[in-house]
Amino acid sequence: MTDILPLSPNQKAFKEYPKKPAKIKGSSIAILIFLTMCALFIAVPLYVMIVTSIKHMDQIRLGEIFSLPTQVTFEPWWKAWNEVCSGVQCEGVKVGFFNSLAILFPSLILSIGLSMVTGYALALWNVKWAGTFLFILFTAAFVPFQIIMIPLIILSGIIKVYGTIWGVAIVHAVLAMPLLTLIFRNYYKDIPNEIMSAALMDSGSFWRIFFEIVLPMSGNILIVVLILQITSIWNDFIIGLYFGGIGTKPMTVILANSVITSRGEISYNVDMAAALLTAIPPLVIYFVLGKFFVQGITAGAIKG
Amino acid sequence: MAIRWSHWSPRIALVPALVITAVAFVGSIGWTIYISLTRSRRFPDYTINWDEWARQYERLFKDDAWAVSLKNLLVLGIGSTLAIIFGFILAAMIEREKRGEGFFRTIFLYPLAVSLIVAGLVWRWMFNPALGIENFLHQIGFANASFNWLASPDTAMYGIILASIWHGSGFYMALMLAGLKSINTEIWSAARLDGVSFWRLYIEIIIPMMRFTFLTCAILLSLGVVKAYDIIVAMTNGGPGSSTWMPAFFALNAYAGRSNIAYASAAAVIMLLITAAIFIPLVLITAWRVRRQEAIAQ
Amino acid sequence: MPRVEFQNIAKQYGRVTVLDELNLSVEDGEFLVLLGPSGCGKTTLLNLLAGLIEVTAGKISIDGNEVTNLDPKDRGLAMVFQSYALYPTKTVRGNLKFGLSAQKLDRAEIDRRVDWAAKLLQIEPLLDRKPSQLSGGQRQRVAIGRALVKNVGVFLFDEPLSNLDAKLRTEMRLEIKRLHDELRHTIVYVTHDQVEAMTMATKIAVMDGGVIQQVGTPDEIYETPANLFVAQFIGSPSMNMLRAKVARDGERLLANLEDASASIDISGHPFAQPPKDGDQIVVGLRPEHGLVDASDLPASLELPVQYAEKTGSDATLFLKTGSKPFAVRIEPSQAANYQTGAAVRVGFATEKFNIFDAQSGRRI
Repeated sequence: MTDILPLSPNQKAFKEYPKKPAKIKGSSIAILIFLTMCALFIAVPLYVMIVTSIKHMDQIRLGEIFSLPTQVTFEPWWKAWNEVCSGVQCEGVKVGFFNSLAILFPSLILSIGLSMVTGYALALWNVKWAGTFLFILFTAAFVPFQIIMIPLIILSGIIKVYGTIWGVAIVHAVLAMPLLTLIFRNYYKDIPNEIMSAALMDSGSFWRIFFEIVLPMSGNILIVVLILQITSIWNDFIIGLYFGGIGTKPMTVILANSVITSRGEISYNVDMAAALLTAIPPLVIYFVLGKFFVQGITAGAIKG
Repeated sequence: MAIRWSHWSPRIALVPALVITAVAFVGSIGWTIYISLTRSRRFPDYTINWDEWARQYERLFKDDAWAVSLKNLLVLGIGSTLAIIFGFILAAMIEREKRGEGFFRTIFLYPLAVSLIVAGLVWRWMFNPALGIENFLHQIGFANASFNWLASPDTAMYGIILASIWHGSGFYMALMLAGLKSINTEIWSAARLDGVSFWRLYIEIIIPMMRFTFLTCAILLSLGVVKAYDIIVAMTNGGPGSSTWMPAFFALNAYAGRSNIAYASAAAVIMLLITAAIFIPLVLITAWRVRRQEAIAQ
Repeated sequence: MPRVEFQNIAKQYGRVTVLDELNLSVEDGEFLVLLGPSGCGKTTLLNLLAGLIEVTAGKISIDGNEVTNLDPKDRGLAMVFQSYALYPTKTVRGNLKFGLSAQKLDRAEIDRRVDWAAKLLQIEPLLDRKPSQLSGGQRQRVAIGRALVKNVGVFLFDEPLSNLDAKLRTEMRLEIKRLHDELRHTIVYVTHDQVEAMTMATKIAVMDGGVIQQVGTPDEIYETPANLFVAQFIGSPSMNMLRAKVARDGERLLANLEDASASIDISGHPFAQPPKDGDQIVVGLRPEHGLVDASDLPASLELPVQYAEKTGSDATLFLKTGSKPFAVRIEPSQAANYQTGAAVRVGFATEKFNIFDAQSGRRI
């Protein structure tokens, strides 16, 4: 249609005007200085961790906590990874790293799969007591872990998963279920009613609509939840401590054991290297997928 | 519009979640409350002597360590509100200046990606009296500076508060920033046209408008404080003495240290009650807000 | 093609009754438009037929089979939604195919149907695009295509044109009409737009307050509205309504108009049940049935001009009465000749009157 018509006579060629000089006000400078100082305060621990982990103990003993290493060494990293002791086991934090990975995947699949389907059923299908159930889930999301921990330990003993990787993974999934279900439910609630009506007329199958229509529409929330879950599972301490058995404890527990209960002369550089190694996976996710990370933590906080 | 259905799939799909909720949450809470009334020690003992059902609770409130835990709960709670204030100031500055927003946000939020264990260990290292910040302060000339907070029962909690603020203020900044950005842009323009000063704008207009964000932050903070455990283990492991015990630490210590599940359960029940005391206002406020928004919509 | 029948349908939400004792049938190949203002229950009725909501009482049958308790997918229906409801993550082809997922068909048959529908609707070049890459009109075609591939006898449309701009709406109106002429499906079409109803329907059911006010062909609805609501709802500008009192003058029946302080002879009106002396009535006159300055007609009124309104091809003269202005259609070229305040005599052919009982609102 439009190609028949000539360009409208009001359209004018772009005209360049001289740029105005940028103005920076005094208040802006004050704010920027303030923010920079705050940023320094926040950044200091990471900086200290990094420099300590690559210093020799000789330099550390001089007490120059903020100074750069005079001689860079990666030996503490190697020690932390391979030799650090947790209790009587001296195989480094790498044991914990692989345990954490082994816990991470099953619990991600369990928790996200379960919460997605539950959220979908509650949001898009007519379930009579959905409101009541959602309220119970909402409450459950706030319950302190200590109130359910002992019975969960006994239950996981009964179903013979206590002390295993699966035991830890299942407890993670159980604990995350209320919050994640609420997040998915709130997301799915915004799928237009007419799309669901159309799907109901076209297919009518609960699972088919889930896999073909709803799941492909979940991309964004899936990334957000994935980041939320990876971070919280990786950073968890309490579940790993009380549900992990010998040889199945996650990285945070190995780290805490090796640093807190270490005997003899303390190698602060090795401690910091071990701490950094533990912190790296979530930090990488944060620096790569920061936008989703922020969404994840806010979703995890407010929607709960 | 409700969608009608006549098949079993949705109901079957809900069974796992229902079972988990019934067993792992409702049932487990009930079990813990029940056990707290018994004299169970290492293993559950299901007989209750109704003449002294409150035995564990009586013991609990006579226990000095529990009193310290409750006091510390309050101290950490009050101390951590600085994280909200700090978070708000950061958000307000970032929102006003806008330059470098992405950079500052990235810096302020990274502690959240770090586990509390790691955070606690770093701070513990920095509080190290011989080699840490105190030593650094002495070296640059502040001979009397004391930064050895974790070694004294009087100051150890402040160390934990400082680390908590470091870890959490970015989170509150993110919430506050979201709150600030949701304020109608015309309000900023109107204030500029009216020539309202920066301080008056914030104190009289912006902060009152964000009262729900503040409230949400306060409630989330309280819930986090009740759960505080990892950071204590990493920084002080409860010490010196029992000066940095918190209810969560107390309950787990009663379970793992003293092997007394009835006592641990009683402590956990009190934690649940504290959580409920924070949670119920949240529910009421949410319900009230929803109703108010509906009223406005009509 | 199947016949659709509603028998004694009731729908309640809690204690609110939306529909009650509603009966309606749609014959084979009919294009039925459910027309009414928003909130009249027309969409509820459509959703009941689709099975998206459940009836409180009553029976729905399609092609002689009762479907009241069947799932939406098992009712042999296809539906086009107001927002098109295309699956955003599927291509156009994927959308059309998903429409067939409840029917067990082999691959070749699915492809054949998709190709057929794509050709019929001229959306072949769009088959591999996502809905977000389509314009409003294209989405509309895809939505219709998704309904067409199902090869069912009954089509439901829920205000399908209300999200399109005026020009596209006219185009799609013709398109839907063409498809109906070609394929002769039974169609139930919900709208609040009387132009859509008048142009497409073979039968219109006018609804208000959950009650069907009148069912009839577009001409019947327009020419002989069954009651005051239908008379006023259909037609633009709407029908002029004048309250009057009947007076018998020998053989003649006179209507003494309240607002125009005049009386007109209504003896020539083909009454179903002639009114008695002293009855309160409402006389309805369509704007185009009035002839300006035609004093030779048996019924006429003299009224002062309020203003004249021109809309391109049409012009309407509004005359002052005691209540709402009285509209008369005039030649656009004449519009400038009428000065505000000047008296104009308007004449009517008596048989064009629509006369209603003032109390019941029913046509008499």
